[in-house]
Amino acid sequence: MIETIIIDGLAFTLPMFIMAIGGIFSEKSGITNLALEGMQGFGAFFGALAAVLLMQNMDAASQIPYYVSFAAAMIGGILFSFVHIALCIKFKANQVISGVVVNILAAALTSFLTKRLNESLFSQPSNKFVLGTSARFSVPVLFDIPVVGAIFTNIYPFEIMIIIIAVIMWYVMYRTPFGMHLRACGDNPHAADAAGINVNRVRTIAIMISGGLSAIAGMSFAYSISANFSPDIYLGYGYLSIAAFIFGNWSILPTLGACLIFGFARSGGQALIQQLGMPSAFNDLVRILPYVLTLFLLIFFSRHNNAPRALGEIYDKGKR
Amino acid sequence: MKKVIVKLIGGGKLQMVRISLLAITAGLIFGAIVLLLIGKNPLAAYGNLLQGSGLLPKHSYAGRQNMFTDFMSFLDALTPMIFASLAVSVAMKAGLFNIGVSGMMLAAGFSAAITVGYSDLPAVIAKPLAIIIGMLAGALIGALTGWLKYRFNINEVVSSIMLNYILMYVITFFINTYYVNAVSRQSNPINDEARLTLTNVQAFDLKFNIPLAFPLAIISAVLIWFIMNRTTIGFEIKAVGLSRNAARYVGIGISKNIVLSMTISGALAGLAGITYFCGFYASIQPGVVPGMGFNAIAVALLGSCDPIGCIFSSFLITIISKGAIYMSSQQGVEIEIADLVMAIILIFAACAEFLKMYSERLSTELDDAKKKEVRSS
Repeated sequence: MIETIIIDGLAFTLPMFIMAIGGIFSEKSGITNLALEGMQGFGAFFGALAAVLLMQNMDAASQIPYYVSFAAAMIGGILFSFVHIALCIKFKANQVISGVVVNILAAALTSFLTKRLNESLFSQPSNKFVLGTSARFSVPVLFDIPVVGAIFTNIYPFEIMIIIIAVIMWYVMYRTPFGMHLRACGDNPHAADAAGINVNRVRTIAIMISGGLSAIAGMSFAYSISANFSPDIYLGYGYLSIAAFIFGNWSILPTLGACLIFGFARSGGQALIQQLGMPSAFNDLVRILPYVLTLFLLIFFSRHNNAPRALGEIYDKGKR
Repeated sequence: MKKVIVKLIGGGKLQMVRISLLAITAGLIFGAIVLLLIGKNPLAAYGNLLQGSGLLPKHSYAGRQNMFTDFMSFLDALTPMIFASLAVSVAMKAGLFNIGVSGMMLAAGFSAAITVGYSDLPAVIAKPLAIIIGMLAGALIGALTGWLKYRFNINEVVSSIMLNYILMYVITFFINTYYVNAVSRQSNPINDEARLTLTNVQAFDLKFNIPLAFPLAIISAVLIWFIMNRTTIGFEIKAVGLSRNAARYVGIGISKNIVLSMTISGALAGLAGITYFCGFYASIQPGVVPGMGFNAIAVALLGSCDPIGCIFSSFLITIISKGAIYMSSQQGVEIEIADLVMAIILIFAACAEFLKMYSERLSTELDDAKKKEVRSS
């Protein structure tokens, strides 16, 4: 039972984590990003479309659609992030409103396009792209270790991908000049500007990064939890990851801890229901666990957190 | 080009109205392009929107129905929308973003349904009681969000989204366990005594629905306008919304006003929930967060968060959302087009501040150019 909790927990934690890293990049540069939810959905739509198109022309065992879909998802996520970029940076809209608008647009656009494309490409009325779950693998030798071995058992390939990207992103954020510029833009954009940093450019790149990373998360959910792309992907995981990085105080490593707690709360609850043999309606009750936990943790940690100082402020060069 | 933009947006009192109309036009143009791309006639489709809302006559009607039937059903859908958009605007005035309207609506509808909806109370008691219970349920959740905000510094957006999902799953659980209707897979329909819409009323050889709460929606809007613009309470709420530090400096209680505005907002959202789930509908679909709570954000922004403006913007948006059902059946297009048009409208409404500044800048530029011409001649 502990093994399933660990296996399912990690499969949920890591996508949340990569999405939260995207959020951290955006918010550390000073842009409030509630748009994660929409970007993960649109990215997943783009990736799923690519996968479905490829799967038609390839034999079923081929792994190519799987990897292409993640690349396509990233492109889709980055493309869609430009809506948030345009609203926040070019049109100086309120960033919270912009984020919500982006999410509403993503949900409307993807559900319209999914229906439309299903009908015109495959001439079948359906609101989902069926993907199936991705193949899993276990690391030889290591998975034999009791309990801890579960970490190396039944891994989705995207989990490895996410870990590699997360390490790179950690390096970019804390060990490169760009990362330092980015953090400066979020704390004191005027000082950063005076030091010769193009604030709007840095922020644009930061939002693009958050779009790309969220898309990976969305695609991972589509390939694991839901096994398809449908408008049901907007389940609030984007908002959960926002809660995770707020709880993680806008730094990458503590955020991983927060995501782990959410992931294990979710898989632990499900395992409990199965173990006790409760009716399936109780699943709905258990699903609230990550959300309730988020609220409770925020109660204890929100007071001591220090958000980037210029977070949510529209950057105006002329302002003092 | 510059002159056209300045003319379109202009300045003065009606500027926000013009920007809202511009946003709606942009949304409709975008929708028209999409409709053209999939080979439909946009004019016919938009005509269907008006027909579906009872604002234009349809070609044919079922027995004992006419335009009036459709219009009354349109008012029935309009009522919760006005309440929901008022809820968003009141919170917005205090600088808070209430994205939890959906969850509050669910909570209000559900608690009224299980307490009054399934009871044998006579209509005279049941209807007012349902309204009061719904308002209380919404107000409680609003107050909770406000309290979490000032006491623990939890961003109201995050907490209300968490509450949305918690409420949705808990209510889904209870509906599926105790109140589910085996045929419709929704909660059992509530009794007519408690329902705030009189259905299938027969008069003048016609059948129609009467939304009893519609006058209440208009009265609420006027009342909120009065509170916001003519009382100290409204002044304090607005002061907190405009600048928290300035408000604190003149001795206005920040925490009190945050909780107060969220409570009012929650009560209004509760009214929206009641009129939606125990009026327009008589049952609750489990597992879904009502989209109206999110559309209300668009409506409130379009109405520039003014209570009276909300009535008009609710009217326009409800035409799109209500008429879309008829449009999709007549034209064979996806109903999601309505959501898409709404999202585009929302994008433009979000740029209102920018459009305002842009038009101001252009008009000063034009003035300067004129002065130069005068001088050189």
